[in-house]
Amino acid sequence: MFKTLGVLAGVAVLGFTLAGPAPSALAQGSENVVRIGTDVDAGTLDPRIMRDTTAYRAINLIYDGLVQLDENLQPVPGLAVSWENPDPKTWIFHLREGVKFHDGTPVTAEDVKFTLDTIRDPALKARFRSLYAPIDTVEAVDKLTVKISLKEPYAPLLSYLDLGIVPKHAVEAGVDISNKPIGSGPYRLVKWDKGSKIVLEANPDFWDGEPTIKNIELVLVADNTARAQALEAGDLDMIQSPLSPQDIKRLQGNDKFANSIQSGIAITYLNFNTARPNLSDPKVRKALAMLIDQDTIVDQIFEGTDQKATSILLSSWAAYDPNIRQPTYDAAGAKALLAEAGWTDSNGDGILDKDGRKLTVELGTHSEDPNRIQTVEYIQNIFNQNGIETKLRISDWPSFSARFQEGDYELILVGWTQLVDPDRVTFGQFRTGGSFNWGGYSNEKVDALLDEGRSSSDPAVRNRVYRAAATIISEEVPYYIISYQGYQVFYDPAIEGYIANPRGMLRSLKNASIN
Amino acid sequence: MLAYTVKRILLVIPTLVGILVLVFGLMQVVPGDPAAILLGEQATAEAIAEVRHELGLDRPLPVQLGDYLWSSLRGDLGDSFFQNEPVTRAIGARLGATIELAVASLVFAIALGLFLGVVAAINQGSIIDVVSMLFAQLGVSMPVFWLGILLTFWFAVELNWLPAIGRGEPIPAAIAAALSGRPGVLLNSLSHLLLPAVALGLNSAAVISRLVRSSMLETLNEDYIRTAYAKGLPPSAVVVSHALRNALLPVISVIGLRFGVLLGGAVLTEAIFGWPGLGQLAVTSISQRDIPLVQGVVLVFALMFTLVNLAVDLLYGVIDPRIRFE
Repeated sequence: MFKTLGVLAGVAVLGFTLAGPAPSALAQGSENVVRIGTDVDAGTLDPRIMRDTTAYRAINLIYDGLVQLDENLQPVPGLAVSWENPDPKTWIFHLREGVKFHDGTPVTAEDVKFTLDTIRDPALKARFRSLYAPIDTVEAVDKLTVKISLKEPYAPLLSYLDLGIVPKHAVEAGVDISNKPIGSGPYRLVKWDKGSKIVLEANPDFWDGEPTIKNIELVLVADNTARAQALEAGDLDMIQSPLSPQDIKRLQGNDKFANSIQSGIAITYLNFNTARPNLSDPKVRKALAMLIDQDTIVDQIFEGTDQKATSILLSSWAAYDPNIRQPTYDAAGAKALLAEAGWTDSNGDGILDKDGRKLTVELGTHSEDPNRIQTVEYIQNIFNQNGIETKLRISDWPSFSARFQEGDYELILVGWTQLVDPDRVTFGQFRTGGSFNWGGYSNEKVDALLDEGRSSSDPAVRNRVYRAAATIISEEVPYYIISYQGYQVFYDPAIEGYIANPRGMLRSLKNASIN
Repeated sequence: MLAYTVKRILLVIPTLVGILVLVFGLMQVVPGDPAAILLGEQATAEAIAEVRHELGLDRPLPVQLGDYLWSSLRGDLGDSFFQNEPVTRAIGARLGATIELAVASLVFAIALGLFLGVVAAINQGSIIDVVSMLFAQLGVSMPVFWLGILLTFWFAVELNWLPAIGRGEPIPAAIAAALSGRPGVLLNSLSHLLLPAVALGLNSAAVISRLVRSSMLETLNEDYIRTAYAKGLPPSAVVVSHALRNALLPVISVIGLRFGVLLGGAVLTEAIFGWPGLGQLAVTSISQRDIPLVQGVVLVFALMFTLVNLAVDLLYGVIDPRIRFE
């Protein structure tokens, strides 16, 4: 009897005894590797067709752009040592001498031309093609000079020229740079275990000197809390957004980790479909915005991971002005404003009405983000309490986005990301007939301002223009910006010289070392 | 028996074709355009239309389906829209990890389930029985992601005994390394496998233990058990050769079904333990509407599930010679 049980027990604990408390290979941590947790695997390592944050970050280490954006989002020299803008429609870039791709061939103006020409080719299916659409021609003037001619003046271009330059000869020879990238950046790919990790090593021939940190691994851990635990367990050396609020709080209180918590370059906002009869009156939109308490959403629901937004101007931009303010929480004022717009509860059923029509709103968001769902539930509650009949419509991102892109929505809670330049969240969004102006907002003054902002490369002019546009948008409320999404990074303080970047880029690791 | 086996294996083919048609239909019904997702939030309508054309999504549905079925018969599952590689390569790179995890958790679940069930049954009503079944109740109620996070917290963060994430060398390679004198490789692989396998397998262990217990209790009351004891057989022989063997039949069929549950649970477990398997690929491909990849992954899952259940059906005959196949 006991013998049998012994055998069975032995089988049951076989796994335990075999494995035992073996120390993990990773936890030992060889000295010269930084292991960074990521939430998604990269889809491709070809800079022209990249789509996800992991790809941006790996590509930013593997490739060089003409420029790099520093931690203040300002362009600094990359492959280009200098550039001129002789007239608003022409940009000339002078390339650095002696830069080589990881396969040893020199980087030339032809490679720059090839990269910018192919990304604009619809056949490549590049996600960011529209950012380069204003380019008319790219010319390799000589080996180290590139001339970009624009169809119309386009000031934001410089912010998008951090695009990694790919080797023309390799791509034309059929090398699969999606999976075997060849760049000229500080790190090169050693191996990519799909669904697991991307392993990079220092490029000994990097033009700015071989990085001190010899290896960087981007390790996929999809679950946010599991990623935080892996940092605490010593299996990772650095983790960054997206992170869960409770993990952020716990890690902030742990002095084993250094951190940087800042405002990122993304927003969460409510988009009003101004073409819908109930929402076409700016007074109504303003009143609805005044019913929403940003404190509750940002402090309670987002648990302080984001910053309360003041306007469409991001606090990480030079154009930011804290004095430009969208409507703030004022429930009594909102009621008065609605009454002024003709919406009162004339039949005593608890719902506001005007000319026999009830004030109803359909409020939508996508189901992937629980915080957004909680936010729309909160807003629904407030609206209902204040006599606005509010229905929710929540579905997964693909269905949700397919609908709103066709204008089939009333009020939605969504976001914009990668906002390196004010043009990126205004021109397509608020200009009459703009590509992302799904709600049909239109204002001649705003149109003129956005055109001016796009065509002037004078920072003072651009700041003035975007401030003026933001003032009108804050008054007319086609968007109500709820928050500037935060960016958080936690890392082993032994990593010295790393400068956190609001886009989550890791390029400053090239100048860092492990103490 | 042989004829039966061949017939069952041939029946797998129409099952798989049916699954392919069903998944293809589902992906058409669910809203959300892969081309729009590919191009992201900054896409224009014209750009989306161009990409739809590039991907062949503007062809009539029967043509798309026919093409797909024809090429999959030849082993070509198409190219992933998002991963920039053929579907077979994307799946091939991750399949081993998922099979390893599912098999490890199944082994764990069977071992622990049998042990607890038998112990509880032969000690019916005692404190051992109560504790075992309480444990089973906990196991059944505990969601796999919660258990995974708890296990990581205890064994990786607090005790630092086991790694929180990742996978070592694949087990077959690790065993080969151990045989050639490098046991550290195998220990490393097992230490990575242990937590995810336990997290994923505990629920099944609990289900199996309850089933083994009730099935054992039934058998232990049979006349032939009394006869066996009366013959003077040692209790261990009675329990193992007479009671357990007869009690196993219902358990085997449940084990086949549990394999499906394990494949489903692997999706969550892989996310928590950074395990490089198919589950993550399945989730990403669905949320991206990466139609060829979704179809490929579902096909592979369905194939695995079908084969395991076929094996289970054939096992019946081995365990119980009274069963005849026709």
